[in-house]
Amino acid sequence: MDLVLHVGVMICLYAILATSFNLLIGFSGLFAFGHATFYALGAYTTAILTQRLHLPFPIPLLASMLLTGGVGLAIALPSLRISGIYLIITTLALQVIAIDIIINWTSLTGGPSGLSGIPPLSIGGYVLSGPAHFLPVAFAAAVICFLVARHIGNAPFGRALRAMRENESAAASVGKNIFYMKVSVFGLAAALASVAGSLFAHYLSYVGADSFQVSETVLILSMVVVGGTGNLIGSVVGAAFLVLLPEVLAFVDLPQGFEGQLRLLIYGCVLILFLVFRPEGLLREPRRGGRRVAAGATPIALSTKTAFVGPLLTGTGLQKRFGGIVAIAALDISLSAGRITGLVGPNGAGKTTAFNLLTGFLRTDAGEIRYKGKVLSELKPHELVRAGIARSFQDLRLFTGMSVLENVLVALPRQSGDRLSALFLRPGSVRREDEANTAKAMGILEFIGLGERAMDLADDLSYAEEKLLVVARLIATEAEVLLFDEPLSGLDGAAMQKIIDLLRRLAADGKAVCIIEHNLDAIRNACDHLVYLDEGRALAQGDPNTLMADPELVQRYFR
Amino acid sequence: MELFAQLLVNGLGNGSYYALLGLGFGLIFGTTRIVHFAYGPVFAFSAFAVWMAGKFLGLPLWIAVLFGPAAASVGGAAVYWLAYRPFEQRGMSSHSVLILSLGLTIVLESALTLGFGPSIHTFPDFAAPIFILGPVFVTGLQLAETVTLLVLAVALTRFLQHTRYGKGILALGDDRDMARIVGIDTDRISLVVFALGSAISAVAGVFTLLNEGATPTMGFYPVFVAFVVAVVGGLGSIPGAIAGGYMVGLVESLGLWQIPTEWQNSIAFVLLFVVLMLRPQGLFVGMKR
Repeated sequence: MDLVLHVGVMICLYAILATSFNLLIGFSGLFAFGHATFYALGAYTTAILTQRLHLPFPIPLLASMLLTGGVGLAIALPSLRISGIYLIITTLALQVIAIDIIINWTSLTGGPSGLSGIPPLSIGGYVLSGPAHFLPVAFAAAVICFLVARHIGNAPFGRALRAMRENESAAASVGKNIFYMKVSVFGLAAALASVAGSLFAHYLSYVGADSFQVSETVLILSMVVVGGTGNLIGSVVGAAFLVLLPEVLAFVDLPQGFEGQLRLLIYGCVLILFLVFRPEGLLREPRRGGRRVAAGATPIALSTKTAFVGPLLTGTGLQKRFGGIVAIAALDISLSAGRITGLVGPNGAGKTTAFNLLTGFLRTDAGEIRYKGKVLSELKPHELVRAGIARSFQDLRLFTGMSVLENVLVALPRQSGDRLSALFLRPGSVRREDEANTAKAMGILEFIGLGERAMDLADDLSYAEEKLLVVARLIATEAEVLLFDEPLSGLDGAAMQKIIDLLRRLAADGKAVCIIEHNLDAIRNACDHLVYLDEGRALAQGDPNTLMADPELVQRYFR
Repeated sequence: MELFAQLLVNGLGNGSYYALLGLGFGLIFGTTRIVHFAYGPVFAFSAFAVWMAGKFLGLPLWIAVLFGPAAASVGGAAVYWLAYRPFEQRGMSSHSVLILSLGLTIVLESALTLGFGPSIHTFPDFAAPIFILGPVFVTGLQLAETVTLLVLAVALTRFLQHTRYGKGILALGDDRDMARIVGIDTDRISLVVFALGSAISAVAGVFTLLNEGATPTMGFYPVFVAFVVAVVGGLGSIPGAIAGGYMVGLVESLGLWQIPTEWQNSIAFVLLFVVLMLRPQGLFVGMKR
């Protein structure tokens, strides 16, 4: 009986570890392979505080969470600079260093022999030793951690995390603060993992470095992969599955001392089998998007708030070099409300670089960018979006693994649910706000003509629909200056006319629209004003028909 | 000063060893972009192959060592053909391939432990000669490591530059899609790269066997060092791998001058962390082979 209860406790602890790890790899796409380090930190902090300092519950638990959460914030820093396989290797290296510290800092951690004789958990005078007493506590902790993770995962913050996973630059381009998201999700996942560590120390009354090796991280990873990345219930199922499996196979007779190896062998085989036969895991990532809102519930108001006189956005003397290559030599550009400006010129003229400079994706080497008269040269992309300047990408960069509705929803500005503090302090108002936002996003989709596809994955859209969704996402930012990088390329006549009509409508509502375009008919049809860019400078500006009749420009470009 | 000189010699010896690791791993990673964690168990497998050749077949050392690279190239090629290649053909992400590689590492290491037991296996009746050069000791193994490294580096350079397969490898490392478009059989080239890179790693594996003996988990640390060396030196660069190897060897060894011995392993990891944070593209990027 005790064995069954013990297995129950271990399932609870691993459920905590797997769900918190899923927040990192499944939701945020941050492949940081050091989760056992957070587990270890929680365990050792609790062990030292209860054994040496005799601190009563819940101080050791809270201290573990705080300390581990703090370390999590620090471990987020590599993820800001590097990604992909380099992040995996770096974090694995950090975990090896952490284990070395545990083994070598003997005076604090007991070194290779670990710390034993840790007092059992005692809450309000009740001593909870043995699996029978401990299981309810472990279960309660697992439920609370799961609910916290689910609350985050389903909130606007979780949606923003998934957008970041799908495409980091696109998430920044709709106003998400990548730095804040990475740091806070790391801190949070680390703090949750430390809860499992803290309980582990009390439960086994022993902590040693062996429990927290790289193989432990791989085990937690296996649980997430087996359960299904991006599905929190899956992580609980994965944890239960992989804890139970070796117990079920326990009848296999093996010489003493090999159980650990066999267990690893089983985990490794299960991981590989799942990767081969069911890479999405036992449970798929749920299709999210809020409750479907009645079509046309909220008519959208596009018109802009302020009547600013003069050009909304001006760039003066902009310059950008890459090494020895001058991409932008000296560019003056101004975008006015109510007008569609076309940015034209041959490939390599610096059009996209100009967009990157105007939207903060690249820093200018010289020159000044003013928005409504204020200098904005030092702002990051997400700050510029919030100020009112947004852009799209030539290669679309939709959040392909999310629903069409979510692609728009995530781009809406001023979402209080993007902040963890609001999520926990004012959950009710965050929920009401998100319901209103869902209706608003639905309104934008209806306006754009994608209402029917709201709950489909962006990945399943046709090319023309994808281009429409790009426009919808940009409208959702509520920015006043909208920069479209080739919104019309690759479209047939009807689809092209549809987008041109949308752009006209946006301009009529007071937005400053700028498009990069190559198709001469489309330019003549869509643009009020042309800027001809070549060799990194604006060679000519003015009325499209005049420019397109200029013999020199015809010679150079408009053949 | 004598301690310093001795640490310098040890650092150079270890540097040659690390450069061998980096050369093999860098060839695989630089060409195929697969983070081949299972390099570790394949490395251990090669050492056990040599050990078995000495123990059970009673072969003399100079014949037994040939079993190492042979076993490793078969093992490495099998891992590519049976595990990585099907994954790549299905268009799985590089993350999935890396997780697969971690899973394989665990399975293969456990299998080796179940097969050979966790204890240290040493080659029968082997003791490395030691030379005294003035104030310092140099072991025969340190000399052999350095000589093999130089011979292999020259041979590999010539192979890459002057043979059809070598040129295919360079093309694949440069641009995979373009290599495929111009009609290079990328699967076959990758197979050759895995066989070749694993064989080079086995040379280091044999030296580990002779130095300290073989264990099933002996490959865990070398994989990381190989990764450090390959990345520090700049991917796919032979001079880079050699420079990276000596850098890790010297930093690690000279670090012992001031840092207690038990931290030796951490030094390479800290170095990896610092390099990846400051210069993820490596120190010798752009250096041509």
